[in-house]
Amino acid sequence: MPGKPLLRTLLTAVILLASVSPALSPLHAAAPSALAKEESGELTLAATKAIFDTHSAYFVDARSEYAYYKLHIKGATSLSSSRFDEQYPDFRKKQPLETPIVVYCADSNCGKARQVAKKLRKNGYRNVRVFSGGLVEWSQAGFPMEG
Amino acid sequence: MARICFPSGLITALRLILGMLFILSGGEKLLDLNYFELVIAEYQILPSLLIPAVALLVSLCELLCGIMLVINLFSRISSSVMLCMMAIFIAAMTYNVMRGLEHECGCFEFLSQWYGLKEEIGIGPIVRDILFFILLLPIALQSSNRIPWKKGHELK
Repeated sequence: MPGKPLLRTLLTAVILLASVSPALSPLHAAAPSALAKEESGELTLAATKAIFDTHSAYFVDARSEYAYYKLHIKGATSLSSSRFDEQYPDFRKKQPLETPIVVYCADSNCGKARQVAKKLRKNGYRNVRVFSGGLVEWSQAGFPMEG
Repeated sequence: MARICFPSGLITALRLILGMLFILSGGEKLLDLNYFELVIAEYQILPSLLIPAVALLVSLCELLCGIMLVINLFSRISSSVMLCMMAIFIAAMTYNVMRGLEHECGCFEFLSQWYGLKEEIGIGPIVRDILFFILLLPIALQSSNRIPWKKGHELK
């Protein structure tokens, strides 16, 4: 019967579309927020982890130094928003202006990462991104930390 | 001149409770002096060069005064030193709260570790330190500087 392959093709097409469509697929449930983050220049957890794995950026912790001392993303350095002016000269000596930088703080409610990113851009660093999920999202995902 | 007299039982209880608290507080600071230095730095009051010395001094003072209060050795001097320190802590915290800064208090870290209490500067820690200040007053006013195992020996 000629109707059967057509029906099968249609059904396959619907299933394929459903898995790809952001509105229908659970795989893409988080996509709009992720997209919004990417558009605002902020990194998602997955994108940050990819950067971390490829060592393609320098990680900066914008929380207070004592919080960094207790726990931070593995390999990150401290550049707190509260003591930026004291810590920045040392940071500048070690990191050239071309260094790609990922800044994070505690979580998405914490504005310190954005403050530090803004100050770094003001000081000439061109490639600065913010990981807005911060240490909370990173630790919940079980990704490498030290302290 | 009329002098306020506190029951000796009350003085002893205050000495022991506050002494134990200061021992715990000073001890934990000495165990992780780097962390305490970073908390002091966050107050943004002292120059960086002084911070390690102040961190060591504050921790040692708390520990030694705590021990001396518990064993009732030079209690008047110990409580007076702690009174001065409490006044400084209260002033520093009030100043930073007024400046809108948000950071750890550096007071009793073990409280946050054991009971999950937040140890950030704010009204809570300021009121607590004022309470400690009030509780230290009777000890400073009424206890002696005697050496308990030597009868009649007292520092004037």
